[in-house]
Amino acid sequence: MSQITAPYAAAPAEPIFKQELVWQWPIRLFHWLNALAFVVLFLTGLYISDPIFSPAGEAYGNQTMGYVRMTHFIAAAVFTVGFFWRICWFWLGNRYARSGFPYVWRARWWRNLVRQTWDYLRLDFGHVHMGHNALAGLAYTLVPVIGGWVMILTGLALFGQSNPDGFWDSLCGWVIPMLGGGLRTHMWHHLVAWLFLVFAIVHVYIVVLDGTQQRNGLISSMISGRKFYPADEKPGSHDED
Amino acid sequence: MADSLLSSPGLTTYDILSRHGVSRRDFLSFCAITAASLGLEAQQVPAVVEALETKPRLPVIWLHGLECTCCSESFIRSSHPIAQDVVLNMISLDYDDTLQAAAGHQVEQIRKDLIEQAKRGETEYVLAVEGNAPTKDGGVYCTVAGETFLDVLRETAEHAKFVIAWGSCACNGCVQAAAPNPTGARPVHECITGKPIVKVPGCPPIAEVMTGVLTYVLTFGRLPELDRVGRPKMFYKQRLHDKCLRRSFFDAGQFVESWDDDGARKGWCLYKMGCRGPTTYNSCATFKWNGGVSWPIGSGHGCIGCSEENFWDDGPFYSRLAKTPLPGIEATPQKVGIALTAAAGVGIAAHLAALAIKRGRAAATENKAKEA
Repeated sequence: MSQITAPYAAAPAEPIFKQELVWQWPIRLFHWLNALAFVVLFLTGLYISDPIFSPAGEAYGNQTMGYVRMTHFIAAAVFTVGFFWRICWFWLGNRYARSGFPYVWRARWWRNLVRQTWDYLRLDFGHVHMGHNALAGLAYTLVPVIGGWVMILTGLALFGQSNPDGFWDSLCGWVIPMLGGGLRTHMWHHLVAWLFLVFAIVHVYIVVLDGTQQRNGLISSMISGRKFYPADEKPGSHDED
Repeated sequence: MADSLLSSPGLTTYDILSRHGVSRRDFLSFCAITAASLGLEAQQVPAVVEALETKPRLPVIWLHGLECTCCSESFIRSSHPIAQDVVLNMISLDYDDTLQAAAGHQVEQIRKDLIEQAKRGETEYVLAVEGNAPTKDGGVYCTVAGETFLDVLRETAEHAKFVIAWGSCACNGCVQAAAPNPTGARPVHECITGKPIVKVPGCPPIAEVMTGVLTYVLTFGRLPELDRVGRPKMFYKQRLHDKCLRRSFFDAGQFVESWDDDGARKGWCLYKMGCRGPTTYNSCATFKWNGGVSWPIGSGHGCIGCSEENFWDDGPFYSRLAKTPLPGIEATPQKVGIALTAAAGVGIAAHLAALAIKRGRAAATENKAKEA
């Protein structure tokens, strides 16, 4: 106890860390709506693919599958609107809204990707980035973005199946013959949903681990939008380099 | 009778019917029934009457390739209109090696003559194809009258007015095109080019759907309105699921869990037993089978989706989801997903353990350094 002196005795005259707004409010709103939509979509999707409850009584007194499907469709609408909102924000947002994006034609992105991967393999954490590092950017592009396109297109195509010539079928119905029929479209929709779950687990793990190890406000940044950086550095000086 | 029919080109359906003593009144009611079976409005009946009165009957060449003849078997069981009417009165079925009386060289001569006449512009004909063509090794796996079926098909299609693809074989490839497709069987639209094709999938298609399509093209001389993959909308516009008599149980969440459980006895939804109704477009729920007696879901068995592409490979029939197409993985996406999730959990645990070991070692080295 006698050791408690220096750090708590007095605040340093100059701050050691400064903070910057990294995630603007549209990004944070999108993130949490997206997370909520994902949880709802995954759970309702599990039920739809393998319905486990069997309500008693007559069919006219129950609407279990009907309500679960309706919930799935509402969450899907939230997911889809959020998805395109986030894509718009890629251009409308600050520099961090584009961070980590696979600019495969830029050598800097590749260097960042190799270094970050190498650091993780050595059980290290790499440089502190304000936005996403290249590896994170690649993961986000592969699962929520490309996977999101797959889910939205297959989902709307299957949604439109009940009304051929309707709006959704005209928009997305071409997906079904392309994938070799309705059943295969269901299969892809289902398989990619599991990729989202795997992504979510790894995402939460890395955020908690990185956030607690680097103590730069990574976890709280998705609420406050702010992250910390050493006062003697320029903010985001390690981003994409 | 057959003699007078075959030797009377240019006659209309009404000519033929009146020659056989069918009254005007019966003819008109026949037209009304035909219009109804095509899903036409009442105002369209005069169009049917006019067409059957004025248009010469179209000759039809009905080819059989790599197939099981279940389409023909289905067709001859049509009750609205009955196949006899279609074959003897409405169309001039000039070539069909299964149904016709002639045999051997005579038969092939009829086909070649008709092609020659069409080439000279003297007549038109419709090509109906049952089955498909194996394409591997020059098409030797199906030969008709000494020629490969691929050649017969291309030769006959070249001068046809349009092509009717009967059944899943002709439309999608069906069982003989199932992986690994040893004979290279290809559906009709992949064997010929530049001809309008109407696809009538099903294994077999419903009899009334077949005669309905034939009646439509012969009545109006053109193909009916087709959907995205080339099926006539009037028969393939709705999923079985959306017209299913068990649909209310689906929405209620009441499902048959095994073939002899209480739900099965109560007629609950067959979704969990692998029913393909939610992805299958056909008229089974409307026309039913065997003149409206019953249909698979009506008699307690799920739909196997026989009118849908790849139904033969997307097994098993009694499981809800198709297997993943990943090489070497024979599992549903659910199993693959659970395995991936478990792998992620194991990976995270391993990573944490490795971190702890690394930290422990670092701390140990530090302590040693301090002690020294």
